[in-house]
Amino acid sequence: MEYVNPEGLRLDGRRPMEMRQLRGEIGVVSKADGSAVFEMGNTKVIAAVYGPREVQNRSQQLNDQALVRCEYSMANFSTGDRMRKPKGDRRSTEISLVIRQTMEASILTHLMPRSQIDIFVQVLQADGGTRSACINAATLALADAGIPMRDLVTSCSAGYLNGTPLLDLNYVEDSAGGADVTVGILPKLDKVTLLQMDAKLQMDTFENVMQLAIEGCKAVASYIREILLDNTKQLEFRRGV
Amino acid sequence: MRDLQLSLNKGQSVRLERALEQLESLSSKANSDASVTVADDISVNYEDAILKGHGTVEMDGRLVATLCGVVERVNKLVYVRALRARYKPEIGDIIVGRVIEVAPKRWRLEINFSQDAVLMLSSMNLPDGIQRRRTAIDELNMRSIFEESDVICAEVRGFQHDGCLHLQARSQKYGKLKKGQLLTIPPYLVKKRKQHFHYLDEYGIDVILGCNGFVWVGEHVETRDDMAEDLSNKSEPSSVKSLNTMSDDEAEETYTPPETRQNICRTANAIRVLSTLGFMITVEVVVEIVKLSISLNLDVHEMLGAEFYVLVAEKEAERRSLLTKRR
Amino acid sequence: MIFSKVKGVLADEVLDLPTQCPSSRTPPPPSPVTVQPPASSPLDFEVRLGIAGKVVKRYSFLIGDPLMVGLSFGEKNFIKGGIAHDLRTDGRKRLTYRPIFVETGVIPQASGSARVKMGATDVIASVKAELGKPNPSHPDKGKVSIYVDCSPTAEPTFEGRGGEELSTELSSALQRCLLGGKSGAGAGIDLSSLSIVEGKVCWDLYIDGLVVSSDGNVLDALGAAIKAALSNTAIPKVQVAANASSDEQPEVDVSDEEFLQFDTSGVGRHYIVDATTEEESQMSSAISVSINRQGRICGLTKRGGAGLDPSVILDMISVGKHVSEQLINKLDSEIAAAEACDEDNEMDS
Repeated sequence: MEYVNPEGLRLDGRRPMEMRQLRGEIGVVSKADGSAVFEMGNTKVIAAVYGPREVQNRSQQLNDQALVRCEYSMANFSTGDRMRKPKGDRRSTEISLVIRQTMEASILTHLMPRSQIDIFVQVLQADGGTRSACINAATLALADAGIPMRDLVTSCSAGYLNGTPLLDLNYVEDSAGGADVTVGILPKLDKVTLLQMDAKLQMDTFENVMQLAIEGCKAVASYIREILLDNTKQLEFRRGV
Repeated sequence: MRDLQLSLNKGQSVRLERALEQLESLSSKANSDASVTVADDISVNYEDAILKGHGTVEMDGRLVATLCGVVERVNKLVYVRALRARYKPEIGDIIVGRVIEVAPKRWRLEINFSQDAVLMLSSMNLPDGIQRRRTAIDELNMRSIFEESDVICAEVRGFQHDGCLHLQARSQKYGKLKKGQLLTIPPYLVKKRKQHFHYLDEYGIDVILGCNGFVWVGEHVETRDDMAEDLSNKSEPSSVKSLNTMSDDEAEETYTPPETRQNICRTANAIRVLSTLGFMITVEVVVEIVKLSISLNLDVHEMLGAEFYVLVAEKEAERRSLLTKRR
Repeated sequence: MIFSKVKGVLADEVLDLPTQCPSSRTPPPPSPVTVQPPASSPLDFEVRLGIAGKVVKRYSFLIGDPLMVGLSFGEKNFIKGGIAHDLRTDGRKRLTYRPIFVETGVIPQASGSARVKMGATDVIASVKAELGKPNPSHPDKGKVSIYVDCSPTAEPTFEGRGGEELSTELSSALQRCLLGGKSGAGAGIDLSSLSIVEGKVCWDLYIDGLVVSSDGNVLDALGAAIKAALSNTAIPKVQVAANASSDEQPEVDVSDEEFLQFDTSGVGRHYIVDATTEEESQMSSAISVSINRQGRICGLTKRGGAGLDPSVILDMISVGKHVSEQLINKLDSEIAAAEACDEDNEMDS
């Protein structure tokens, strides 16, 4: 199948290096300490953060740092074919783990000893790149909850189809069988915190694809920073003196 | 920006937008550059010695924010004042909390902090008012002072050597809060002041703006000598039981009178509207909003409708512009 | 501000030591924690008979949020008093609903979808139509299934399997009201309209609800969201003979259903609609009535353990009929507004 037509356009009309439309919104779950919606094209994710609060299960309490927990769940209606999956299947468990590890690396957990931070991500629509969208939503929600972080974490994926590196794969491109590289970075520190790839790639091609994904992450980072700064200014001027 | 989740019609959203724009233009211009997000550089003159405060880390010789908020500078100290976040305790803060556990010699309280706070039996005045050692009898009677899920008001004493946040209630004004409702608002909207207990005598109600974002609105209590009452009258648990078994008519008599209730609910809704709009909550502003709703002859529940939100935003813009003019 | 940690033993701690008076030395008094059971347990399980004679497990809506460990006696009494005086904590009267906010077409992949917000309660419902085989015992009818999920974003205790019980309870209450009896008779959705070729092909309608944020009365919100999602649903008309789908998109025929939840307070004489989480924590029993546009009852669920006087139940149903009229009208206008808004957006994009 042709994923990039001779004019250099992808199935959804994007250019190979073009990202889908991003949209982020802060404060969607009023009861949570922090929450956000993040959309990458048709992929839509809600993240809610509860905490830092008293550790619910005392045996898990850590005396020198905060306990970070994460649960990823997919709504029944989130995929094209409706599937009723049991909660806590392998894929969800793996993604929960990935998100938790990625976020934990950025949170200054030592500042909140003996407490617990819960990150819940709920996929409303899945159209490729759910893990990236989840990480981006979680970053926004953590920042909204006022949890101190070393750096923002942003994520984006890139793939390789028809001999072309493609940024931010959608579901059709993702399931085409080509390589799919998901990257998460700390933009300020310029470090990669998450790197996953399936299928195989030439070493030098991989370098290009990864570089493309990193560029994508940086674009997401500047968008997220914009939202956060706008939100901070709004909160401050509304509060008044 | 967070969505207010109101169904505004076109005219209302235009008015709300206009009011918010006015508020934005009124906010001090000097501060507009001071907003930072996570991982933003904070510009400082590195030649001067600086003290890194909350919300900052040093990274490759630069000062970087770890929170979203506003950069504040006090002499050499540079820190980021967080906006939306859980409560950060400071010694002497007056807080409202909920008892979640009665443990040996202490109560554990939820106060919107990253851990539960601890109120030691020894950190509060005994009901008989005499300074003495706490006996085992006192310890057994702890539930007659506060029991699980009671709402109480206390003062932050500080972190103790066990690493827990301790509270104290060494004054008659602290203690159990009854007959009213507890609201939770983001703590950054509560301004720290000398006075956090407010008695609105024209409405016959008490408002306690806890620094931790827990706000109590309730019936006015003359003197806060609940503790004394409780011990002298040890039959409190049984009186509770008798209340439950009382016939409906009898129970009704113990209810807050309708007029006071109306005032409590009106005040609570004023606080709800202000906090949803993200405006600073002081007792003066709350009273103003209550008066606004009364002057408009609104039913209490209509205060949570879209139109009143717009009116409150317009009122706030007007109030702040008057304030700047006077300066 | 950095807190200075106080080191050493403080005067208070000294005072704290057990007293040495002989009377209290023997026997050592047991700690109060172990003696008395907690005043109120946040979870309240009970088993009771369901409508169809099945044993259904129920639990109260109050779940262990740190803030929601329970309400103090004073707060409970304040809520009860408010219900008695017809002025609830947020100023509503007993039979006043919170403002309802409806948004349709929120899930583009679905055949129809809607999001409903009532106060801090926020739910999403989606309808997906798939081709399936009809049940051999009802060859002329399609199939509808309803599932509700509670997201942990709404309540940390819904994590893992924590939300399952509430999800099942909500699903079964909705099924009872919308799907009618086993035969499909009296269903809110006309199942025969879903048939394509009798005995061979029919539409399977999957209705999924998701609770994103909860502040009481989730069932009514879900009912409203499903109603809005169904009115937003368009299923392509399949013409088997022509072997191609035509452009016509008739909407699924749904008779209007409303859910009304009445919660009786502990006082027992008064009942309220659209309870918040705090109020739900105080309710002794609740009745959910589903009433259609003609004022007929389509389904009924009584929850909670406390016994109710039959006359009170009948009274609640008749009041429910009255309130539902207003609610149906309100919801209709909200849905119409949401759809108009949805179409505007489509034109813009």
